[in-house]
Amino acid sequence: MEQGSTPAVRIEGLWKQFGEQVAVAGVDLELPAGQFIGLVGPNGAGKTTTLSMVTGLLRPDSGRVEIGGHDVWSDPVAVKSRIGVLPEGLRLFERLSGRELLSYTGRLRGLPGDEVDRRATQLLDVLDLAVAQNKLVVDYSTGMRKKIGLAAALLHNPEVLFLDEPFEGVDPVSAQTIRGVLERYTASGATVVFSSHVMELVESLCSWVAVMAAGRIRAQGALAEVRGDAPSLQAAFLELVGAQRTASGDSLDWLGGDAR
Amino acid sequence: MNSTPQPEAARPGTTSLIPVFVQLKLSLLRNGLQQSSRRKAVYVTSIVLVGLFTALELLGLIALRGTAHMAALTTLLVVVLALGWAVMPLFFASGDETLDPTRLVMLPLRPVPLVVALLTASLIGIGPVFTLAIVVGSVIATANGAAATVVGVLAAVLVLLVCLALARAVATANIRLLTSRRGRDLAVLSGLIIGVGMQFVNIGVQRLGAAGGLRALAPVADVLRWVPPGSAMDAVRAAGEGSYGVAAAELALTAAALALLLWWWQRSLTRLMTAPDSSTLQASTEPDKARAQRPGLASVLPTGRTGAVMVRSLRYIWRDPKTKTAWMSSLTLGLLVPMLNAAQGHGSLYFAFFAPALLGMQMYNQFGQDTSAFWMVLQTIASPRDAYVELRARALALSLIAVPYVILAVTGVAAVTRAWRSLPEVLGMSFAMLGALLGTGGMTSALFPYSIPQDGGFKNVAPGQAGIAWLSLFGGLLAGTVVCSPLIALTIWLHVSANLGLMWILLPLGVAYGFCAAWLGLRLAGPRVVARLPEILLAVSKG
Repeated sequence: MEQGSTPAVRIEGLWKQFGEQVAVAGVDLELPAGQFIGLVGPNGAGKTTTLSMVTGLLRPDSGRVEIGGHDVWSDPVAVKSRIGVLPEGLRLFERLSGRELLSYTGRLRGLPGDEVDRRATQLLDVLDLAVAQNKLVVDYSTGMRKKIGLAAALLHNPEVLFLDEPFEGVDPVSAQTIRGVLERYTASGATVVFSSHVMELVESLCSWVAVMAAGRIRAQGALAEVRGDAPSLQAAFLELVGAQRTASGDSLDWLGGDAR
Repeated sequence: MNSTPQPEAARPGTTSLIPVFVQLKLSLLRNGLQQSSRRKAVYVTSIVLVGLFTALELLGLIALRGTAHMAALTTLLVVVLALGWAVMPLFFASGDETLDPTRLVMLPLRPVPLVVALLTASLIGIGPVFTLAIVVGSVIATANGAAATVVGVLAAVLVLLVCLALARAVATANIRLLTSRRGRDLAVLSGLIIGVGMQFVNIGVQRLGAAGGLRALAPVADVLRWVPPGSAMDAVRAAGEGSYGVAAAELALTAAALALLLWWWQRSLTRLMTAPDSSTLQASTEPDKARAQRPGLASVLPTGRTGAVMVRSLRYIWRDPKTKTAWMSSLTLGLLVPMLNAAQGHGSLYFAFFAPALLGMQMYNQFGQDTSAFWMVLQTIASPRDAYVELRARALALSLIAVPYVILAVTGVAAVTRAWRSLPEVLGMSFAMLGALLGTGGMTSALFPYSIPQDGGFKNVAPGQAGIAWLSLFGGLLAGTVVCSPLIALTIWLHVSANLGLMWILLPLGVAYGFCAAWLGLRLAGPRVVARLPEILLAVSKG
């Protein structure tokens, strides 16, 4: 940690169980402020469950989460105004147009009307949604939905932004736009925490990573540190989660080539 | 392709295609039933119900055999049946996966064998059996003599095929619409359309009973017997009366209609499977509609959360098909029930309570109406005050419609029943009830939230949550009545003690009472919402 400042997010002993299945098995994390942080892991590693508990969407069985020094569950007033969230697999108010959604979210956040409209216009512009701003969100494509969700999460200028799979199903153009906005946002000192299972993406974007598998954190730290001697984050990751399996020789021998 | 012989199943041709599609249909049916025992139960129940209904219908038709103007009834019946088949795919497109030929696009299939195979496969199911039973019953009811029986058999086959081809052709021609968002919205509204349609059918049947029986149908039948497949049914009557020429012409007309339908079906099938999906062609840069910033309602409403939530709630009443259906049903029934009762002479002003009761119930399960989008609200609620303001804004939006509606409904019913003297009393009680339902509705929204599935018009509760939904509705209604009970007691006391001169007092009292009940309920609900935010989100995200 630099200069011993308060970490953006501090997680201690986070635990969540659904019936018999343990989704998150005691996560401890300390995420430094002002960084672009990637939470990586295979599908089912517990990334979404962890992010949901950190952002107050899901109640943990046990454990503590602090954001900027404030406890998520005992001090929601301080936490909710400081964070922005873009969850995965939850709907938006889809029967509003993009602009209406932003105007609604901004007012719920208690921002003055004029300010909401000013920020919304700029966000819609930057995220290439100006043309579609009066279309209902239900008619948006996946990429457009992620972008309007991002705009809604940024509207109140949070200190920490949590994004669950923000690039999943997003076309390259939209992905580049999202990336640009996020990079500008972290450059101003804010923190972005996002989850992904695409290693190349995490490697190219993040300065700090946490690797998760089977509900536990396997490694955390600066990107170079976690990568170590491995040629890429992908290789380091496969080694960490122990998924180094080689394709066996004679199965699928009929596929392709002369067998046709 | 090289010289190795192709396996049997890969050869495209009619012979191999029919059993494939029949089997596909059977597998889909079987797998659908295996998915859940609940679905199986629903299926078995519907088979039993349809079976009973069919048997009754069949018995009725046979019992009516030989009645004058019977052919008029059967002709009408068959045309209505065909109409049902035509609109059914518009409402239940997702019900039958074999109805969607876009799933077959990648397979090397020729249109004609495909049409034949699909038509054969669609003979399987409850619908076709039901149709066949009705048609056979109609034939038995009208066939006189050997010639008529032969024509009857032909007619039955033709009618069944026309119905099936009609459903398929309509579905195929509209599949792009049906699988689009607008089509799905339409399907969600279908419950409402069917409900209102049933009212009209009900009125029609009552008229028929009142106005001298089947003779009233004769002029309708005179037209319908030249409308396929009604014409095939009328051919049975014509053959029985010896008019073989007419019978032949009517049969030919239905056969021609069948041919035309098959041709239309095959043509749209070909176009559908070879042309690119229009949704990919459509540029995303279509011009903006007039949904652009209008200063309308939003500028009159309060600023901050209250205004924002009110505007969103009101927009959802109009734009969200599920919410719209609930509101439209409440608004229609709230007025229809007391008015119909009044019109039939046995009305009472007390029926006007339907209006506040049905509208007040819209306050129930508020967060379920948000679906999982509730997370956006959750993220902005940090204190009991926030939750209270949120609920209050929703109640205000509801009142914006409910208050004038209740005044209108109660006054309207008072005018029809000429019960002006009871107006202040009923109006006061109505507001008390509305307020009580808003209060208890806020409370149950916090304590018993449940998911509202967004697909389909008939499911209003997610699987496994029916108990919570019933508890919420009936517990809430009961609580609402209990809350109102002091006022009810006062009303009864005023009546019993013959203090009719004081009845007017119930109006201001009721208004004040309703206001307080709503305020108190929402106040108490606020802290509970804050304490249960993640639990509410979990409960409403199952749809």
